[in-house]
Amino acid sequence: MNALLLAIGFFLALAGNSLPMGPLYLALRPDFVALLLLYWAITSATELGLGVAWIIGLVQDVVDGGILGAHAMAAAVMIFVLYAGLGKVRNLPPWEQLFFIFILLLLERLGAWVWQAWGGPIAWNFALLLGPLTGALLWPIFVYLLDRIRHQLRSA
Amino acid sequence: MPSLFFPRRLPQSVRLLALGLLSVLLSVLTQGQGELRTLALDAALPVQWFNSRTEALWGEIGGSLHSRAALEAENAQLRRALAAAQPLLLDRDVLRSENRQLLALLDSFPQAPGRVMAARVIAENFTAGNQIITVDHGRNDGVFTGQAVLATGGVAGQVVTVGTMTSQIALLSDLDSSVPAQSAQNDQPLLVNGTGNPQELQIPFQARNTPLRVGEQLVTSGLGGRYPPGLPIGTIQSIRRNGTQAFADIKVRPAVALGRLNTVLLLWPRNQPRATNTP
Repeated sequence: MNALLLAIGFFLALAGNSLPMGPLYLALRPDFVALLLLYWAITSATELGLGVAWIIGLVQDVVDGGILGAHAMAAAVMIFVLYAGLGKVRNLPPWEQLFFIFILLLLERLGAWVWQAWGGPIAWNFALLLGPLTGALLWPIFVYLLDRIRHQLRSA
Repeated sequence: MPSLFFPRRLPQSVRLLALGLLSVLLSVLTQGQGELRTLALDAALPVQWFNSRTEALWGEIGGSLHSRAALEAENAQLRRALAAAQPLLLDRDVLRSENRQLLALLDSFPQAPGRVMAARVIAENFTAGNQIITVDHGRNDGVFTGQAVLATGGVAGQVVTVGTMTSQIALLSDLDSSVPAQSAQNDQPLLVNGTGNPQELQIPFQARNTPLRVGEQLVTSGLGGRYPPGLPIGTIQSIRRNGTQAFADIKVRPAVALGRLNTVLLLWPRNQPRATNTP
């Protein structure tokens, strides 16, 4: 994928993750950065390095103002699991990837959450499941749109 | 995947381990580094600027879609709320002057809330554990780390990171947040902690036979000096005594709608010569 396109994509994803749009958006919004990372990892011809995923997660930590390293580690773990354990998912059509995307997004969210709650009390909250769920449901549309954009740019 | 032809390339699992160690080091070393956090916040400025533009645009679209009837209804409701609040305001003035007189009797100074500045929320960095909002005032306006932040209803949180033009505020509901409080009904000191859920706070370490009751109002106690005393925090919502647990499980509903803040007030405490003029 084009480096400029990736940069713009991740900028928009970072912005989308922190838009002050009210409580409903807050509860339902998927982690756009994680979604874009998964798209990149699944569609790119060469393997996406764990270090690259880690750095993108770190940028998200910087923007979020949370503890540095939480999203970085969660993103690296997510990509590791995708390649090491779910290699076949890359060949499935987007509709069938949906469930795996949910698992991976959940893994990323829980990873970052545990990291942030380090040393403090952890209160389980079922709302934690909502973001990954909407993310997974949006996945086929997300893939379709991004494929279209890339196709347009290539033929232009 | 690791290959025999590239012995230089480490296996994925080893790389993940290395990144894990790096993350731990980074997390531990950057904790409490104010300058570094300022730098990080300034680096995030483009994203926040984009956010504030998008939000303004969204607001305009939403505003133009509001029907006349809805606006009239809202107007009437606001009028009613204002009328209802008027006597309370009068009450408050009376109470304040009475309080001032009483405190003067005690040879003390009244604790005035101090100077405030309104700030607009430009980003909500809500993850499961961190409840942080970003506002459009920073070091240039004299914002400082640890500054108390108010919103409609009471205390919202405190400033944790100061950037040049923006700053970040940890809300009361942040997992790391803890406010010294007391009940308005009795003066027993308490703590009110965040749970990561903007609709719920909790009081730790209260014995099962705690004198606290459901419905009691909690206010800041002023201990620690971060928040002025007497600001509303929330209302006790439920007290549960679970099986064998030594402490009661007390939930508090925050006085401020922490999940839907648009504007907050940054508070500068009035300089208090009280501490220094003791003989």
